[in-house]
Amino acid sequence: MSAALPVQVIQVLQVLTIAVCAPWVTGVIAKVEARLQGRRGPRIAQPYYDLAKASRKEALAPEGASWFFLAAPVIACAAYLTVPLLIPVLTSYGLPLGYMGDILGGGFLLSLASFAVATAALETGSPYAQLGSSRAKTFSAITEPVVLFVVFTVALLTGTDLPYALAATVRSSAGQVVRPAHLLASAALFMVILHETGRIPVETHAGTNEFGMIEEARAFEHSGPYFALLTWGSELKQFILYTILADVFLAPWGLAASRQLGSVALAIVALLAKAAAVGCVVAVIDNSFAKLRLFKITEFAAAAFLLAVLGVFTLYLGGG
Amino acid sequence: MSVIMAAILAVPLAAGLTCLAVPRRAAAAVSVAAGLACFAGVLALIPVAAHRDLDYLSYLRIDAVSAVFMLATGFLYAAVAVYSVGYLRHQDQAYARRFYAGLNAFAWAMLAAPMMSSLALLWIAVEVTTVVSALLVAIEDTDGAAEAAWKYVLIASAGLGLGLLATVFAYFAGSQVLGEHYNLAIGPLIAAGTRLPATPVRLAFLLAVVGYGTKVGLFPVYTWLPDAHSEAPTPVSALLSGSLLAVSFYAILRFYQVAVAALGPGFPRDALLAFGTASLLLAALYLFGQRDIKRLLAYSSVEHMGILAIGVSFGAPVALAGVLLHVLAHAAAKGNAFMGAGVFTVKYRTKQLAGLRGGLGVLPWSGPLFGLAVFALSALPPSGIFRSEFQIVAGGLGSGSYAAAAVLVLLVTVAFLGLTASATGVLLGPASGRAPARGEPSAWMVVPVLAGAAALFLLGLHPPGELTGLIARGVAQLGGAS
Amino acid sequence: MTNAPGVYQGAANAIAAVMLLLEFGMLRQALARDQVRLYAAQSALISVLAVVIAADRGLPDLYVLAATSAALKVLAVPLLLRRLLRAGGAGDEPAGVAGSYTLSVASAVLAAIGLAAFGFFAFGSLHLHGPAAPPLALAIAGAMVFVAFGLMIVRRDVASQAIGFCTLENAISLAALVVAAGLPLILETAFLFDLLVAVVVFGMLIRAHHARTESLSTADLTRLRG
Repeated sequence: MSAALPVQVIQVLQVLTIAVCAPWVTGVIAKVEARLQGRRGPRIAQPYYDLAKASRKEALAPEGASWFFLAAPVIACAAYLTVPLLIPVLTSYGLPLGYMGDILGGGFLLSLASFAVATAALETGSPYAQLGSSRAKTFSAITEPVVLFVVFTVALLTGTDLPYALAATVRSSAGQVVRPAHLLASAALFMVILHETGRIPVETHAGTNEFGMIEEARAFEHSGPYFALLTWGSELKQFILYTILADVFLAPWGLAASRQLGSVALAIVALLAKAAAVGCVVAVIDNSFAKLRLFKITEFAAAAFLLAVLGVFTLYLGGG
Repeated sequence: MSVIMAAILAVPLAAGLTCLAVPRRAAAAVSVAAGLACFAGVLALIPVAAHRDLDYLSYLRIDAVSAVFMLATGFLYAAVAVYSVGYLRHQDQAYARRFYAGLNAFAWAMLAAPMMSSLALLWIAVEVTTVVSALLVAIEDTDGAAEAAWKYVLIASAGLGLGLLATVFAYFAGSQVLGEHYNLAIGPLIAAGTRLPATPVRLAFLLAVVGYGTKVGLFPVYTWLPDAHSEAPTPVSALLSGSLLAVSFYAILRFYQVAVAALGPGFPRDALLAFGTASLLLAALYLFGQRDIKRLLAYSSVEHMGILAIGVSFGAPVALAGVLLHVLAHAAAKGNAFMGAGVFTVKYRTKQLAGLRGGLGVLPWSGPLFGLAVFALSALPPSGIFRSEFQIVAGGLGSGSYAAAAVLVLLVTVAFLGLTASATGVLLGPASGRAPARGEPSAWMVVPVLAGAAALFLLGLHPPGELTGLIARGVAQLGGAS
Repeated sequence: MTNAPGVYQGAANAIAAVMLLLEFGMLRQALARDQVRLYAAQSALISVLAVVIAADRGLPDLYVLAATSAALKVLAVPLLLRRLLRAGGAGDEPAGVAGSYTLSVASAVLAAIGLAAFGFFAFGSLHLHGPAAPPLALAIAGAMVFVAFGLMIVRRDVASQAIGFCTLENAISLAALVVAAGLPLILETAFLFDLLVAVVVFGMLIRAHHARTESLSTADLTRLRG
């Protein structure tokens, strides 16, 4: 299998991998969690069926909602599909469009998507959707700086903002992986991921607890294909964040170093394996801890902020 | 000489341990004997220390500066031990035992600290004084005492933590020059002065001023002082104000010597001037409007510690001589003041100034003596404090710090107003109808105050020749040649 | 690209960073019992760091120090503190410990981050470092000192304040290991025993406070003013 793929194909393949396999990751997490609880659990492909079912249903919009309400899921998905262009998903070398934006740009795109969904939810006038929106934005006031500080750590470690460069640095020696700054930034990012994807200890994925909902509530009023888009979008976000954590921070191995078809295929498999591993960890956490009370989520976010700030500090004196 | 040094170390500790086991009269007798013995021992050391440094076992070292501080502590130890006999008349056996044991242990630690030859042992001694005095402050079983003791031990221990950090950095500086097994001995560190790296020494000095300054009562870490000194039993307050603050200041002086040797006089003096002036200003303002007599005297202690710091910052030899004399005179005067206040509180059964009136009529000895002590604290001639403050101001003017000297005089005047306004009310105010009967509660409580007054005026009128020699040698050691 | 530090330096930095994290953990914990556990963990880390530095620089004294420090600060002091906290008699926690924050936890953590930053950069900008440990460790020690003070300020119960003092001593031990690793053993041991004595006295005063007010809160220690 020594056919060399053109870089444009690899680039499209990155987006396709994320797009197609995102629901699979969700299914894996649900299955693992069920198994840990002693149940058989849903089939791994269940999220695909859910998406298909939702897209067949009728779409309704509340009275008074503007075009933005219908456009928001599309905007969100578009943003989520753009991010894989910027981060090392399959390859360890930069791809042509990969220099459109650095990791900060990726962060901005994720925020854009989150903003669009939140605004659309606000538009509806439904109490639950508005509640979810306002909570999400309140907590993101602390988690967004965390992401920024994690980005700063990346920048200080490599001198650039490009996630490819950071991955290369981490791969360069085992000593790099256990640097305090690196570990602290990774831990902070993991906590942010738990928050952004709506997992314990921030929110329960299993069941709808209205008074604790944050992420889930934002999709309350959408229906039909738009709801399918939103669900798919949140799965995309989850997979993207896992990819950033695994491919940039924790385990940047297994990425294709060349354009050979074989290595790219291996990279796809490696990516799925890594995402599944992260998902397993998340499932274990789901089953081990209880959801935090709402006002304690600020403590959680403050702890993530602490880790990120410490990561930057330890780098500052050139020893971390 | 080494026998005396060892005796000064051993006797108070032995006395303290004995007092835990014997009946109260024996405990009182043992304490008085120990106090007088230690005072006599220190007096015997003075003529020798005026001419050479005394070393013993490489852990103990007495030079002129430490002899001055030991003299202050020794005198107050003896005076307070005698005073306590009268003060504790109405307490039960268990309280008396604990009190005397604590008193002796406290005096032991305070006598040991100036004798220590290394900064590390000095820190340990000061920490022991904190620990023992905290228990003594809490010995009265009142809410106020418990609160004051907790605040004291927390703030002072935190401050001493910073002092420990200062010691660590002093080691760091010393080890760069004197090798890795440098044991924090003070003498070699000062001798190696100019070769020491500047940054650690500067950091160590600043940390020492803030850290040990917590125990001295410098602004802004003095907040435990009024509480602890007012809630402790009076003999303990006298020792706290008269001796412990001075011993902590001794620690700062040692770091000052190192800093001047390594960094030159500029930075250390500026730091001390800043802290001293702030303390003096704060104390002068707080002296107005006090309602508790012992709190009033506590703020007066803050004032005098500020004066000490400012005096050292002037740097002229006459100012440094004034500082050393001030340590002695303040010990005598503050001890007298607290002991007098104690007589008042025993007689009138209250510490509030509003309840203490007509002292001159009710207490024929203690009343005038208390008045004398208060005026002495305000630098009335011919007390020792007048002489020392005069020397400090003269040194300031002589070394060119005109503004600082002027501020010093102004603030001391303000403090005088605050202190005497309250104190004269105590003495001369018209006695209310329910005034207690005329008469001294106990002769034991008068004799030490008389001795203190005598010492005070001796220091003011004609300090003994040996003492002047000792102070002169101390000034030379503190680098007073600039 | 910044270089990764050597193995020993990296280990020292990592241990110091974890110690700082544990201190923040103490800030967050509501129950004094958990704070004591975190303190024991922190003291264990200091002993490990002493061993690391001893191995790196060949100072046999430090092994002894590590052992003594572990015995005292990991075993004796936490035991003492736990026994004191059971002073109420009925097992778990006397009243007045939970809810003893003056700020909420998140605000306290953010304020402590500010303090840590100040301490970090203040000590770090001095560029002091011993031959064994990098300047980062001293900066972290500085941050720990300030956060320990923050712990004593932010919590309004005597147990947290006492544990804050013990943590302060840990921070100073860290600084001492970094710049003063060669300090004679007897002095280091004397410092340790001094800490023990101080803890005993703290304990006696806490007992007295508890006996008097039936709680560990300092909220009513406001009688003396002016």
